[in-house]
Amino acid sequence: MANDTQEGKILILATESCAYPGANSVGQAHSSYPTNTYILRVRAPVLFPEHFYMDCFRKGISGIIVMSCGEECPYEGAYHAFAKRIDNVFQLMKKEDLDLRRLRLTAICTVCNRPFLKEVNDMNNLIKELGPPILKGEEAATDTP
Amino acid sequence: MSETKKDESGEEARVGVYICHCGGNISDHVDVEKVAEAVKDIPGVVVSHTDMFMCSDPGQELIQEDINKGNINRVVVASCAPSLHETTFRGAISRANMNPYLYEHANIREQDSWVHHGDPATAKAITLVAAAISKARGLKPLEPIRVDAASHTTVIGGGIAGLRAAVDLARNGIKVALVEKSPFLGGNASQLDRVFPTGEKVADLIEYLTSAVAKDPNITVYTCAELTGFEGYIGNFKVTIKRKAPEDEATQLMLKQVKGAAPGSFHPFVGFYPGDVPAADEEETLTTGVIVFATGFELYEPRQGEFGYGENREVITLRQFIRAMADAPATTETLTIDGRPVRRIAMIHCVGSRQIPGIHEADENDYMNEYCSRTCCTATLQAALEVRDNYPGTQILDYYRDIRTYGHNQEEYYSRASEKNVLFFRYEPEDSPVITKTTGEYPLKVTVVDKLTFNEEVEAGVDLVVLATGMKAKNIDSLVEMMKLPVGADKFLQEVHPKLRPVEMANGGILLAGTCQAPMDINESCNAAQAAAAKAAALLGKGFVELDPFVALVDPDRCEGNGDCIAECPENAISMTPDNKAEVNPALCTGCGMCVAVCSVNGIDVQGWGLKEYENMVDAIVKF
Repeated sequence: MANDTQEGKILILATESCAYPGANSVGQAHSSYPTNTYILRVRAPVLFPEHFYMDCFRKGISGIIVMSCGEECPYEGAYHAFAKRIDNVFQLMKKEDLDLRRLRLTAICTVCNRPFLKEVNDMNNLIKELGPPILKGEEAATDTP
Repeated sequence: MSETKKDESGEEARVGVYICHCGGNISDHVDVEKVAEAVKDIPGVVVSHTDMFMCSDPGQELIQEDINKGNINRVVVASCAPSLHETTFRGAISRANMNPYLYEHANIREQDSWVHHGDPATAKAITLVAAAISKARGLKPLEPIRVDAASHTTVIGGGIAGLRAAVDLARNGIKVALVEKSPFLGGNASQLDRVFPTGEKVADLIEYLTSAVAKDPNITVYTCAELTGFEGYIGNFKVTIKRKAPEDEATQLMLKQVKGAAPGSFHPFVGFYPGDVPAADEEETLTTGVIVFATGFELYEPRQGEFGYGENREVITLRQFIRAMADAPATTETLTIDGRPVRRIAMIHCVGSRQIPGIHEADENDYMNEYCSRTCCTATLQAALEVRDNYPGTQILDYYRDIRTYGHNQEEYYSRASEKNVLFFRYEPEDSPVITKTTGEYPLKVTVVDKLTFNEEVEAGVDLVVLATGMKAKNIDSLVEMMKLPVGADKFLQEVHPKLRPVEMANGGILLAGTCQAPMDINESCNAAQAAAAKAAALLGKGFVELDPFVALVDPDRCEGNGDCIAECPENAISMTPDNKAEVNPALCTGCGMCVAVCSVNGIDVQGWGLKEYENMVDAIVKF
């Protein structure tokens, strides 16, 4: 039942008003991209606390792309709060010796087909190069904020 | 992962999974039978079916039969994008007397079968369905939030869009406060003469609407007025309207022009004057259900020296030209402006529109208008044709980057202009026309590298240069700040979704009408105004509003009352109860989730989009 390939998995958090319809637009264009990509529809990625990202890596997700609405975010103040949060996640990743490129923040609009494909392919190439995420150690693994 | 979950009634989650063939759109690439087989043993799943078209009546009945038999209490449909049929399936569930929010959608068409093929596509569908199942198991029944609504709308802006919206709302029996900053109604449209694509006098359009406004007892007009206070939520906004005597010079000048005129009359290039200019400040607070933004646009003002503007009196904007033409003697062979015959006019498109970093100059805030203003091409050609029709002795040279006469019946303007011997030159932005003073036969000379003649440099003497200036977002910063409105990178107000929710802002109950949203012509502004009025009438018609239940909810058992969520919430939707627990006002909450991330004890979550459910989905993605 499970994917029999050993390739890493990429989690994509896509905003329902921009990037998620953007991913649908790529589908409507029948543009192929790697299968190891799993898109979760989110209202605004600002919902996720720092530990969510670290937990994903711990669980074995190789790369995370947050596809937001960027400055076009329909929620007041959410984008800036979110950008700050991602900075915190980068700090935590540093502590765990995780390559910071495994987490990518990007703005994807409803018709941004080419940027979507580029982001997905770039991340896929990166995780192929990096292999599975390995966090520092067990004691660090319990140190969630 | 926990093997089963219970909902609030204590019942264990029993998930029905329905996989759609989409007539081959999905099943040509995804082995849907294999997916149904693979997920049927996932804990909590009790039925797993496939169907040729889940959105068809038989497909929906499949779900309803399982609900009616008491087999299932959660539904997952794997099909196309949720934007197409999520509502369809929620409706089907609702009609079978099950809570429609106990539903999750897996997108295996746009995000799988249309982009992947063969076994990997099937494997991915299994993962996506498994993730949807893991979310569905944790879903709780939700009810839309019902709030009483005032049958009243505040329309901000008395231009053509505001007038159109006010008239439509009032005809629906909804009371309207029409708030206009200036002493006049008609807005930017009042500054025009004849308008495309019909060639009607704009005065006729404005008078049609203003007479309807004046006659309708449901509409109260507040001129010289601004919104200075705002609070509340959809159905129950409180707005403060402040009226004061106009002080700025331009408005004083316009008031002088209508001095002595009867109130309730239209004045060309000024507007409709209802009278009633306040002598002293007045303030009123209203309860209003919906707010319609019809604040309009500002015209781009060319920089000093841009195409010779400000340096030569013969360089004017299209709007100034329209005014000058209206004042010109009508029966001469050659157009006369300010007593001077105008034998040849250069019209230049895209002034202050489609600006390119590195080529055009940014304003003092380092901003440039990178968009197309959409209306200027047709407006320019309309003016050109008026000249050619009425003053055959006046020649027109038209300098364009692209001709965008995009709308209904507008391409004719371009073809008619050619027939009427308007001479076209095409320029690249980096080789824009250069205007210089001359002492010869004509006062000005236009030099351009013309793409239509393979980059030949063409010089022409002209009596007048007309700049087709674009539209800019109006400065309404105080309203944006006070009401926390979303603004796009182009500084115009931003809708939730350009296609699916084109006149709504993310702030519930605040709607968009016309050029406050983007450059539009009068047709499009009235389209948007009527859409906003219909949307407002639909929102208020029942006497109550039902709000999206996807708002934050505090778990009082977990909440420790530390107030982090209150500090984080941009909408001031969270407060502290006397027993030191956070509490969300669902009518104010937009469901953005900012509070969720800052709560260290997970004591607050967005209903229907819970953090725990996301974590479960990630678990499923890792596992399957």
